[in-house]
Amino acid sequence: MNDNNILKGGAGTALLILSALIFLGSLVVALGNLGSQGHASFNTSSALPWGQPIATYLYFALASSGLGLLASLPLVFGFKQYYPVAKRCVFLAFIILISGMTVLALELGNVFRMLWAIPLNLQIQSAMFWMGVFYALDLLFLLWKFGKLDAGEWDSKTSKQVGIASFIGVLLASGNLALIFGMMSMRPFWFDGLLPIYFYFTGVTSGMAALVFFVYLAHGFNRDKMHPAMQSLMTGALPKMFAALIGGTLLFIAARAITGLYSNNPEINIVWTDYLFASGLYHLSLWVGLLLPFVLMLNGKLRNQVNVQLLVSVLVFLGLFAERFYFVVGGQVVPLFKGTWYPDLIAYTPSVTEWALTIMGWSLAFLLCVLGEKFLNLSAMPDAIAKQGKVHPAIA
Amino acid sequence: MAKWGMVIDLDKCTGCQACTTACAMENNTLPGESWQDVLFYHEGEYPSGQMKWLPRPCMQCEKPSCVYVCPTRATYKDESAGGIVFVDWNKCIGCKYCMIACPYGVRFYSDEKPLIEPDMRDIYPGQNKQLWSPPYQNPKEDWSRGIGIQPPGVVSKCTFCYHKVSQAPEGTVDFDEDNPAVKEYVPACVRTCAPKARYFGDLDVPESQVNQLIGDKHGVRLKDHTGNKPQVYYLGAGAAVPAFTPADKGDKS
Ligand code: SF4
Ligand code: SF4
Repeated sequence: MNDNNILKGGAGTALLILSALIFLGSLVVALGNLGSQGHASFNTSSALPWGQPIATYLYFALASSGLGLLASLPLVFGFKQYYPVAKRCVFLAFIILISGMTVLALELGNVFRMLWAIPLNLQIQSAMFWMGVFYALDLLFLLWKFGKLDAGEWDSKTSKQVGIASFIGVLLASGNLALIFGMMSMRPFWFDGLLPIYFYFTGVTSGMAALVFFVYLAHGFNRDKMHPAMQSLMTGALPKMFAALIGGTLLFIAARAITGLYSNNPEINIVWTDYLFASGLYHLSLWVGLLLPFVLMLNGKLRNQVNVQLLVSVLVFLGLFAERFYFVVGGQVVPLFKGTWYPDLIAYTPSVTEWALTIMGWSLAFLLCVLGEKFLNLSAMPDAIAKQGKVHPAIA
Repeated sequence: MAKWGMVIDLDKCTGCQACTTACAMENNTLPGESWQDVLFYHEGEYPSGQMKWLPRPCMQCEKPSCVYVCPTRATYKDESAGGIVFVDWNKCIGCKYCMIACPYGVRFYSDEKPLIEPDMRDIYPGQNKQLWSPPYQNPKEDWSRGIGIQPPGVVSKCTFCYHKVSQAPEGTVDFDEDNPAVKEYVPACVRTCAPKARYFGDLDVPESQVNQLIGDKHGVRLKDHTGNKPQVYYLGAGAAVPAFTPADKGDKS
C-alpha cells in the first residue's frame, strides 16, 4: 500500500490543531450564548422557526447520504474503478453525519429528552420519528461497513450484505428527510412528492464535492502522490460524473424555479421573485457556485486539472450550502397569518450563535476527517485493484 | 363525549383585542406569545379597498397536522377533553416541526428574541424550571397539557382554556358568559368579548348554540383547503383571508 498521505505527518498535526482550535472556539461561543440566552440567541422566531442550524444539519445529512451512495457504486453495484475512494467515502459519510447531528442537537430545545421521548412514544405517523430511526440505522451500517473494509473484507458475504443494507439505509434516511419537507402541503414551496429524488441527487453532488476535496487534501493536493488506480479514477470516471452531477443539480433547480415562477400561488411565486432571485447571495451561489463549476467541468482538459477540480469542489460545496439555506428558509418566508400589519416577507439573517454552530459543524467534520486520515488507512482498496494499478474503465 | 367548538362572528367583532389581552392575562403568556391574536388585513384599493380583521386562536383541528408530525407525541389531540390539541411540556423536545406543520401559525416557541424591551424574562427570571416567573400567576398548572408557564425549549399554544372548561358541570353544552351558572368556565377570550362575537360550546350536541349558528349563519372554516378541519368556525363577511402580497407591491388586481 503506498502511503503518501501528507496528513499522517506534520501537516496533518498542524491541521489537526488548527481545526481543533476552530472547533473549540466556535463551540465555546455557541455554548456560551446558548447557556446565557438559550435559543433567544438565534434569529429564528415563532414565525420562522427553522433557520441556518437546520440548513446546516440538512446539508451535512445529505452530503453524508451522498457519500454513502457514492460508496455503494463499487461496493454494491460493482463499478470497480471507484474502489480507491470507497473506504474514504464511507468514513466521510460517517463523520459528516456525526457533525450534522451535533449541530442539530444544539438546535433542539430539549435534546436529551429526545433520547427517551422518541423511542418510547413510537409516533410512527411522524416523518421526524422515522428520521431518527433511519439515520440511527444509517450510522450503524456505515460504522459496520467501515469496520469490514478496515479489516480488509471487501468481498466477503457479510461485507456485501452490510453494503447493501447500508445502501438501503442511506436511501431511506435521506428520502425520508426529504419528505419531512416534501409532505408539508401547508408549505407549498416545499410540497413536492419528488423531493426525495432532488435530495438524492443534490446529496450525491455535495458528497462528491467533499470527496474530491478531501482526497486531494490527503495527498497534499498532488495527484502524483496518489496510487495509480486512484489517479486514473480522478482523471477518468470521477470528474465526468462530477460534471454530470452538477449539471443534473442545475436542471433540478431550473425545474423548481420554472414551476415556481409560473405559479400564481404567492407562497411559491413570491419566494422565487422576492426572496431567492432578489438576493445577491442566491445569485452568487447559483451562477458561481454551480453554473461556473459546471462550465469548467464540461471542458475535457480543464476537468482533469487538479486546481480546477479543487476549485469546483469548493465552489459546489459552498453553492450547495447556500442552496440548502435558501431551501429551508424559503419555505417559511411567506408569513402564514403573521406580519399582516405590514405584509412583508419574514426577515431572517443568522445570528452569531447560529454561525458559530455552522462553523462548529464544519470544523468538527474537518477535525474528524484529519484524525481519520492520520490514524486510519482511508486509501485502502482491494488487493486486486491495488496490484492492477490502473483499472481499465471497461472492466467496470 | 363533548367536542368543543368555537364560533367567531366577524360581523360583530370590532377588532378591539380584548380577547388577546384576556388570553395573555389568563395564561401568563409573554409579549408576542399571543395564543389568541387579532390579525388585520387590507385588501383591494380605492374605491373598494377594505380593512379586515380576524381573531385567531388555535383551531383545535379535527385533523391536526401538528399532531401528525410531532415525533414524541408531545402534541396530541385529546378526544376525552373535547378534542382539544395539547402540548405535553414534559415530552416536547423543541424540534419545532409542529410549527412548520400548522397552517394557522398559532404555535409559539418562546425561546426567541423578545418582542419588546425590556425582556420580561430578565425582569422576572424563571424559577422552578419555568421560562419566566411573573409575580402573579394563574394557579392552574398542568404541564402535561401545556397549561401554565412553560419551561424553556418547548412549544406552547392555546388550550381552549381547558383549565376552566373542564371544571364546568357535566353535560354543559353552551358556555354563555351571561349565564351565571357557567360563566366561570367560559374560555377567557369568549368571556371578555364585549360585542359578544365569540361563542363556545359542544359541536357534538345538535341543538347547541354553536351548531345552530354555524348552520343558520353559514359558518366557514379558515384555509379549509388544507383539510385540517378546524373546530373553530367564522361567521359573517371577512373570513376570507386575502392572498399574501408584500406591502411594497401593492394590490395590482
Ligand atoms: S390550528 Fe395549528 S396548532 Fe391548532 S390544532 Fe390546528 S394544526 Fe394544530
Ligand atoms: S416542538 Fe415539541 S410539540 Fe412540536 S413537534 Fe417537536 S416535540 Fe412535538
